Amino acid sequence: MSAAPGRPSGDGPRWEVFKQDAAGKPHQAVGSVHAADAEHALLMARSVHARRPAAVSLWVAPADAVLSVTAEQLAAAGDEGAAPAHGDTEGAPQRYLVFRKSSHRRAITFVDHVGEVTAVGPWAALRAAIVAFPEPPALAWWIVPSERVSASPDYEAAAWFEPARAKTYKQQSAYGTTAPTRRRRQG
Amino acid sequence: MTHALATDVAAALVARLTAMADDELILGHRDAEWTGHAPLLEEDIALANIAQDEIGHAVLWLELRSQLDDSDPDALAFFRDAGDFRSSRLVELPRGDWAFTLLRQFLFDAHEAELLAALSGSSYRPLAEAAGKAATEEVFHLRHTGLWLERLAHGTDESAARIGAALERLAPYLPQLTEPLPSDSVLERAGVLPSMEAVGRATRTRIEGALAAVGLDLPQVPANPGGRERHTEDLVTLLIDMQAVARADPEAEAW
Repeated sequence: MSAAPGRPSGDGPRWEVFKQDAAGKPHQAVGSVHAADAEHALLMARSVHARRPAAVSLWVAPADAVLSVTAEQLAAAGDEGAAPAHGDTEGAPQRYLVFRKSSHRRAITFVDHVGEVTAVGPWAALRAAIVAFPEPPALAWWIVPSERVSASPDYEAAAWFEPARAKTYKQQSAYGTTAPTRRRRQG
Repeated sequence: MTHALATDVAAALVARLTAMADDELILGHRDAEWTGHAPLLEEDIALANIAQDEIGHAVLWLELRSQLDDSDPDALAFFRDAGDFRSSRLVELPRGDWAFTLLRQFLFDAHEAELLAALSGSSYRPLAEAAGKAATEEVFHLRHTGLWLERLAHGTDESAARIGAALERLAPYLPQLTEPLPSDSVLERAGVLPSMEAVGRATRTRIEGALAAVGLDLPQVPANPGGRERHTEDLVTLLIDMQAVARADPEAEAW
């Protein structure tokens, strides 16, 4: 894949980052990082996206492995979008992770993980996902081959995520510099 | 809550905590010098995180010291002259290139991981608890610095040359980092410190193992001599920078 515009290619490919805030909650797309490989991408994801606030697990996937389709694109494609013409119909079935955005509510996250399907090719996986996860109606879908997703190591979860829990995120107002500065100015 | 220590034990613990805090503070500052200059945006943030962790550990050790001698951690950090610091020369050296910075951080993390694991068995509860807290972060630091050690050693001819040069430059300073303080024996007898000789050996074994795994050897070179009273000139210039704001307005209420 080529580097994003404005980024030198030496930064490595872009990886989508999925963060899970607590056990039982879905992994959510929170942004991306540039990194040389999957292991590096996970470390960068932890530093950039999970230092504050708390998380319990991270996934990364190369951005070029993500099939991203909006409801508008699906509607515009009409019958064509549901037809095998879009699909890779050859090869062995494989597992795909399914992510979905289902709310216009303002959020720093994009799609949520909703489950998994097995299909031949990402478009076939998308069609299977639409059937398997009909409610609530999706505004956008991400389909990612399971084998391209790397997860933070469970056995090191404490080292990756506990320190963030133990520290308070301080707004700049917490440092109390405003009042002393004002007093000084007033003499 | 009392953790009454004999006078000589308390004095020795103050010396040990000061050495540990100064290593963390000075290394944290060196790492922070990369902020805005790291080769990748993501690494810029990641190294700033490590710098904050190390400075946070310095705060832990200085607060423990404060409980023993009522010293003020901020005053120790920002109003002490170079001659009164007890940092090791390894952490004082200028930041160098990316390979130098990440290798130094790796060597330091290897030592800190061994030291903290041993300290978590200290008979002095506040020290054992603080060590346990800091140790969690070192696991992730070693993940990060270990990844770069591997990538640089196995990367391009240039990256391999740079990590090799960094290792040559740093190796003479490694023994001082792990060398026990003269007063550590008092703490070892009191059960406050583990055997610091053993911590040093474990550190060396860990480092040699990690280097061997990427095809590197720790150079067998004479140790840069002298105790923690002797510093590099680089510490002086670092402190001018680090302490400038605090010293510009010593009466500031908040900054």
